[in-house]
Amino acid sequence: MLAVRASAARSASRLTRNFATVVDAAGVKVAAVDNGEPTSSVTFLFKAGSRFENKPGVAHALQNFAYKSTTKRSALATVREAELYGGVLSSSLSREYLALTAEFLRGDEPYFVDVLSSFVTDAKFTRHELQEYVAPVCAAESTVAASNPATRALELAHAIAFRNGLGASIFASEHSHVDVETIKAYASSVFGKSNLAVIGTGISQDALTKLLEKSLGSLSANAAPPSSPTSYFGGETRVDAHSGPQTVFIGFGTTGAPSAELAVLAAHLSPQPSVKWSEGLSPIAASIPKGASVQAIYLPYSDASLFGLLVQGATAEEVKIAGKAAVSALKEVGNIKAEDVKKAVAKAKFSAASTLDGRSSLASVLGSKLLSGPSASVEGIISSIEKVDASALSSAVSSLIKAKPTYVTVGDIKSLPYADELGL
Amino acid sequence: MFGPLGLSLAPVIKANRGIYRWIKPFANWYVNVAGYRKLGLRYDDLLVEERDDVQRALGRLTDREAYDRSFRFKRASQASVMHVDLPKDQWTKPAEDVRYLQPHVESVAKEDNERRVWDTMAVERKK
Repeated sequence: MLAVRASAARSASRLTRNFATVVDAAGVKVAAVDNGEPTSSVTFLFKAGSRFENKPGVAHALQNFAYKSTTKRSALATVREAELYGGVLSSSLSREYLALTAEFLRGDEPYFVDVLSSFVTDAKFTRHELQEYVAPVCAAESTVAASNPATRALELAHAIAFRNGLGASIFASEHSHVDVETIKAYASSVFGKSNLAVIGTGISQDALTKLLEKSLGSLSANAAPPSSPTSYFGGETRVDAHSGPQTVFIGFGTTGAPSAELAVLAAHLSPQPSVKWSEGLSPIAASIPKGASVQAIYLPYSDASLFGLLVQGATAEEVKIAGKAAVSALKEVGNIKAEDVKKAVAKAKFSAASTLDGRSSLASVLGSKLLSGPSASVEGIISSIEKVDASALSSAVSSLIKAKPTYVTVGDIKSLPYADELGL
Repeated sequence: MFGPLGLSLAPVIKANRGIYRWIKPFANWYVNVAGYRKLGLRYDDLLVEERDDVQRALGRLTDREAYDRSFRFKRASQASVMHVDLPKDQWTKPAEDVRYLQPHVESVAKEDNERRVWDTMAVERKK
């Protein structure tokens, strides 16, 4: 038993020994690991999420402007050349980070690192590209997000819980227009050397460092854009929606660095079974009616976390029953048995370790560690989860529930329950 | 040569100061005889717009430029119906006769050309 448990932390430390974190000569933090895969990837991670935007929707527009014309090559040339090389260019936006990722075959790194760097250093941001390519994509993504009740509930939950900063929505508003000058100004403020972490997989540290020194020489040494520390407020809101399942989000927030106790709590309550078609061992699983579903959601950010249960169902009655079961299970965690804590710790450890497997999630985990401080320790995540015991968990839950809940309902607001009807 | 801007020796003439000094008076006379300024129009209002590339270039004008272009057409159409030139104070001044559409048409032509190059490229396997 002990041997099995220790090996997870050992392989994580092996992973970190492969990563040598170096402050690049160009002033950029670089980490690379090479496990001999046939393809490589390079990710540029900027602290340019929706938290740092100065006007609503700019971060979303900047994310969709990725890989459009630069002074070196046009948008068409970028696409065609990347296709001829056989590579994938993507950009993703979260509340705190903007990630530009290139995945390619081994040996093509000069071209793809150059593509990423030239967007960062001299993108053109032309008005016609915004009008013809970027704005329609932003509008489409925002429309899709608004029609999905789960996404809508989470965006509203962040807005209620954290107000400004983390509360800003990832998606631009469907009908607002950001103009190129705003995007250009935002890009020049967030694209800076001290705001950038470069993570490479399947590529050696020296090769990546050399390429970056060559191409990022002209990048300004901007620091991260200013952001006030997050505070948690909480509240309740009800939104009418006519498509999709009835949705209720019951959330609680904490400020401060993310704690392992909430990760273990999410693993304990999550009805997602480890074996397909089984009911699973979550305390909620048995009491959920047939058409309803409950998801445990844990969203850690650099200085706050949002923990919640997303309850969805075909009718409002099912949602009410499932919501009551979820809230009572959450309150019961104060009397949790030691064996259940062990199960939850194992489940949380596995999900934390498996994020280090995937390329994109590894890049975001490692990049956030690199950008937050000089001592980046990936194995600390798993060892801190191992240390959680029943008393730590129950004290974390009691302090969580004491704060004002964040309660969002999306759907038929005449029939969906209010917060006090569920026992909050 | 068959593009919307047509064959032009203007860059060659402008580059050579001597030839420019001799030809400029003829150019000014030609513009006056052409008479588009007397209808309040600019030279780029006369470009053939029934072409896909010019339509794309027109889509790249700012809202203000597009509105002013529509106004000039409306005013010139009315003057044409009345068979009268505009009053002298409404004629286009030489300083206003800016080639506002030419840069957009040229960039669209460049992009179309680049697309044609990429579409017909011969690709060889890397050795």
